Amino acid sequence: MRKNPFDFGLLFLLPGLIGFVIFFIWPFTISLGYSFMDKPIDSVFVGFKNYMDLFKNESYLMSLRNTLIFMGICVPLNIVLSLLAAVMINKVSRYKEIFVLIFLIPLVIPSGSMIFFWKALFATDGYLNYILSLLSISEVNWLESEITRYVIVFIFIWKNLGYNIVLFVAGINNIPKLYYEAATVDGAGAVKSFFDITLSNLIPTFVLVTIMSIINSFKVFKEIYLLTGSYPHESIYMLQHFMNNMFYSLNYPKLTTATSILVLIITILSQALLKYERRKSV
Amino acid sequence: MRAKIFDIVIISILTLLSAIFLFPLLVTVTNSFMPSSEIITNYTSKLSIFDVLNGIAKKFINIKLLPGTLTASQYKEVLIDQPSYLLLMINSLKITVPVVIGNVLVSLLSAYGFTIWRWKYKEAVFLVYIIVMLMPLQAVLVPNYIVADMLGIKDSYLAIILPGIFSPFGTFLLRQTMKAVPYEYFEAAKMDGDNDFKILLNIIIPQMKSGLAALAMLVFIEYWNIVEQVVIFVKDYYKEPLSVFLSRISQDNISIVFAASCVYMFLPFYFLMIGQKNLEKGIELSGIK
Repeated sequence: MRKNPFDFGLLFLLPGLIGFVIFFIWPFTISLGYSFMDKPIDSVFVGFKNYMDLFKNESYLMSLRNTLIFMGICVPLNIVLSLLAAVMINKVSRYKEIFVLIFLIPLVIPSGSMIFFWKALFATDGYLNYILSLLSISEVNWLESEITRYVIVFIFIWKNLGYNIVLFVAGINNIPKLYYEAATVDGAGAVKSFFDITLSNLIPTFVLVTIMSIINSFKVFKEIYLLTGSYPHESIYMLQHFMNNMFYSLNYPKLTTATSILVLIITILSQALLKYERRKSV
Repeated sequence: MRAKIFDIVIISILTLLSAIFLFPLLVTVTNSFMPSSEIITNYTSKLSIFDVLNGIAKKFINIKLLPGTLTASQYKEVLIDQPSYLLLMINSLKITVPVVIGNVLVSLLSAYGFTIWRWKYKEAVFLVYIIVMLMPLQAVLVPNYIVADMLGIKDSYLAIILPGIFSPFGTFLLRQTMKAVPYEYFEAAKMDGDNDFKILLNIIIPQMKSGLAALAMLVFIEYWNIVEQVVIFVKDYYKEPLSVFLSRISQDNISIVFAASCVYMFLPFYFLMIGQKNLEKGIELSGIK
C-alpha cells in the first residue's frame, strides 16, 4: 500500500470515478448546501432553520412515520417468511431449482405489467370484493383506507420474497454439514439444531437480508405510485410522495433538507448494520 | 417412511405457495388470449340495460383464469394495428440498452481499478461507493436533477441514462466477483510481462463471465422497470416507456392491456429463464463482505 495514489489502478478507475463524482458526490454536496439556505437563488444562510421547519411540517412527519411503520412491518415479515421458505426449499428432495425460480419471477416482472391485475383484484368493484360479496361480507375499500398499507405489504412480499430466499438458501448451504452431524451425535433434535446451528451461522446473511430488504422496501414506491397516484390515502403517504410533491411545487429548501436527512439516516443505519456484521462474523 | 411423508407435506406447502405467487402472472398470460368482448364483460362493472332489467343491482370485476374462446387478436392489435405500443417499447429500449452497456463497461474498468490500485486509502473511497449504492432512489433524484439542470439535459433521456451508467452498484458487484479470481493469476501474468490492460482482457474477463451477465441482468431489470425517474424527467406522453404508460391505460384500452403487459414482461422473463443461475449468483454476490 502506498501514500501516493497515482498508479495504473487509478487510471482504470478514473472514467468511472469522474462520472461518479459528477453525478452523485458533487450534487449531493450542493444539495446539502441548499438545505442550509433559504432559497436556491440570492440565497441567505439560515443555519438549521430548514431542519427545524421540516420537523414541524405535518405532511413530512406523516410521510416519515408511514415510511418507518411500513418498513417496521414488511422488513421483519419478509425475513421470517423467506427464511421459512428457504428452509423448506432446502429440505425438499427435488424441484429445488424450480421453486427458487418461481419465487424469483415476480422480481423480474416490470411493475407496469402487473398494475392492471392488482387494480382488478383490489378495486372496490374488484375480484376480492366479489368473493367477499359471495360470502355475504360487506365490501372493503382496499386501495383507499387503512387496509391499503397491508395491500402494499402483500405486494412487497410477493415481489421481494425470492430475493431473500436466494440469499438464505446460499447461506444455509454454506454451513458445513459437519456441524449438524456433530449436533446429532450429541443428541440434539431438529429444533435445537435449527436454533443453535442454522440461525447462529446465518447472522451475516441476516444482516445482508435486512439491508437489502430496507433498500427494496423503498423500491415498492413504484407499485404504490402506479396504483394510487400522487396523493394516496394517508396511511401510505410515503417519504417519496412528500419528496415528489415538494419537487413539483419547486420547494427546494424542504426537498434538499428531506434528502439530507434521508442520506444521514441511511448512512448511520447501514454503517451500524455493517459494523454489527463484522463483529459477529469474525 | 416418516421422512417421505414429511417431504410430501413440504412439497405440497411450497406448491401451494408457488400457485399463489404465480396466479397474477398466470391470469395476465391467459387473459391475453381472450377476445376483447370477453375482457370487457369481465373487467367492467358498469351495469348494462339487461342487467338492470334482470334486477342486478351491482356488478363486480370477475377474474377468469381460462378464456372462453382462444384468440390472438389482442396481440395483433398491440403488435400490428397500434404501432404506438411498439414505439413506447422502443422508448424503454432507448433508456435501458445504453445504461446496461455503459454501466457494465464503466463498472468493469472501475472494479478492476479498485482491485489493482495500491493507494492506502482506496477502501475509504470504496466505502463512499457503498454508501451511495445503499441510497434509495428518491435521495438520488434531487442530486440527479441538479446536475441535469446544470448540464442542460433535463428534458432528454440523458438525464436518466448518465446517472445510470455511473451508478456505483455495478462497481461493487464486479469487485466482489473479481475477488474470486485467484491472486496467482495476476502474478503469473505479471511475470510474463503482460500489462494491466492485457491482464484484464485475457485473464480477468474470461474468469468472470457469469458476474458480468448477472450485472447486465440486474441493471436491465431495474431500468426496464423504470418509474420514478420518468415521473420527474419525462414530460411528454409519447416519450414515456411502457412501464409508466401501462398504468395509465384507461377504460377504452382494457381490451388489450393483458397482451401489452405480456409483451412488456417478455424480455426480462426470457432473461430469467436463460440466466437463472447468473441472476442468483448476482444476488448472492451483492452480499457485503
